[in-house]
Amino acid sequence: MSVSTVSTEASDGPRGRVGSDRTGGGFVGAFTSEWTKLWTVRTPYVCLLAGLLVTAVFTYYYGSIARINDKPLQPVGNASVSSVVLTQFALVILAMTTVTSEYSTNSVRTSLLWVPVRPRVQLAKALLSALVGFVTAMVWAVLGIALAWGPFRGHAEFELSKVAYQTVAMGVYSALICVMTVGVSFALRTAAGAVAMIFFVVSALPGMLVGLGGPVLLAINAYMPQTVGGYFMLGDGEAPFPDAVSVLILLVWAVAAHVAGLCVLRRRDA
Amino acid sequence: MITLRELTKRYGETVAVDGLTLDVKGGLVTGFLGPNGAGKSTTMRMILGLDHPSGGEALIDGRPYASMRHPVREVGALLDAKALHPARSARGHLVAQARSNGIPVRRVDEVLEMVGLAKVARRSAGAFSLGMYQRLGVAGALLGDPRVLVFDEPVNGLDPDGVRWVRELVRSLAAEGRTVFLSSHLMSEMQLTADRLVIIGRGKLLADTPMADLLAGSSLSSVRVRTPDAADLRTLTGHLLKDGAVSVESPAADELVVKGRSAEQVGDLAHRLGLRLHELRTVSASLEQVYMELTARSVEYETGDTVSGGTGTGQTRGVGA
Repeated sequence: MSVSTVSTEASDGPRGRVGSDRTGGGFVGAFTSEWTKLWTVRTPYVCLLAGLLVTAVFTYYYGSIARINDKPLQPVGNASVSSVVLTQFALVILAMTTVTSEYSTNSVRTSLLWVPVRPRVQLAKALLSALVGFVTAMVWAVLGIALAWGPFRGHAEFELSKVAYQTVAMGVYSALICVMTVGVSFALRTAAGAVAMIFFVVSALPGMLVGLGGPVLLAINAYMPQTVGGYFMLGDGEAPFPDAVSVLILLVWAVAAHVAGLCVLRRRDA
Repeated sequence: MITLRELTKRYGETVAVDGLTLDVKGGLVTGFLGPNGAGKSTTMRMILGLDHPSGGEALIDGRPYASMRHPVREVGALLDAKALHPARSARGHLVAQARSNGIPVRRVDEVLEMVGLAKVARRSAGAFSLGMYQRLGVAGALLGDPRVLVFDEPVNGLDPDGVRWVRELVRSLAAEGRTVFLSSHLMSEMQLTADRLVIIGRGKLLADTPMADLLAGSSLSSVRVRTPDAADLRTLTGHLLKDGAVSVESPAADELVVKGRSAEQVGDLAHRLGLRLHELRTVSASLEQVYMELTARSVEYETGDTVSGGTGTGQTRGVGA
């Protein structure tokens, strides 16, 4: 490769070649940059495909087992809700790598050169992950419902309003889990640390709390993200909190993770 | 213009950058030199808002970098060319950069063409050589057509053609009135590229001066005189020492090396004394020699050998005398 002539081609034209001084940049610029970064690497596609496959297999299996075991009639969307226990981790990986891959490759410095307002970078990544998590989870939910309907063979009921509620609830839950993951990732910076923390808080700890039992531990478990999310997504009237409170609890988890992430991001050198 | 005022960075007890105060002006290439660990990269990172100063401030055109709405359009920076996702294509990387600052995507193709990476624009950056990384980094720095450019070791890993390309590029950028601040460990290259030099050692400012003044003012610069007559040589030696020369040495029977006097002063003296000269020329110290002399006591990581003198060949400049 050889370049012998030099021209910046920059001085001969107005600065309009690089955009108007009043357009672009800011939060919109940060978000569109994050959007571009997300879809120009392979990881998100692998995560989405993995989630899709798990949804397909899990919901089909769920419907079949419900029929085989002659379970009582239930909303068809329960199949998709149950698959979220697994598929949420595909979205966790997707959201996490938007942050941790930048620390592992040092490209976080480059990102902060483009968008030096650090909370703006964090917010852009959080909103992008939330958007992807929301839309993807709803697509998976619909797919899961469609795939489970056959093997249920009459052991599930299809009520449009219930299906719509559960689909949107899965989107909201997944979006907030993604937002929480971005916050944790900024706080811990490494993929191993972030995924371990998310797995512990979302999956392992609730299992331990229920396993050990007792009123205190069960009361604590009622506020854990996956427990709250499970009741919220099922929407079967057995939730200890109204929907708004469930969303608020999930929001508190997400905000707490982001406050921790922002403290680290602000204080530490890039 | 880049303005540093008492810029300081401490890591615990260690002071990496110690009260740096200087101005990096537009229209010039300002070289930034210092031994490993002197604080160059830390200073550059503080200028660009990546590291938080422990004290003082770093401003670009009077503002902190972090306050700029379109920083990529105002400051082009190449710090670590490999600081990008290896699975992302060169074009994808630059498109993300362009969108972050509202720069039209067509500008991406322009800069890729400019740096010679158009043909590999869609290849993953992870497959690039170090030289290609550097070119991509330069493309990123030029993307926003900025008035200020900060380059940290831009020629690292480039072949001779690439080194010359960067030299001509930064010269042309400065000629357009832009502020160019670059660091390099290649002294010969810096001597060819920079108009002004900032040298730091152990975080402290050692020199902030035009290149020509630095070289001319060095104690390593000298005047070489040749005369065929041994008596004339002795006469000239005596008068030079009386006239204020720092040292006069005679490495050969017909030759003197004079320090502390200019070629013009030696020539005038010889003329007054009626001495016949066969040669009179200035032997300028190389930047490497001057740099070694300045930083000898500031080297943080050194081998068992004493750092001294420098190994570069002095540059000569004839004087019409």
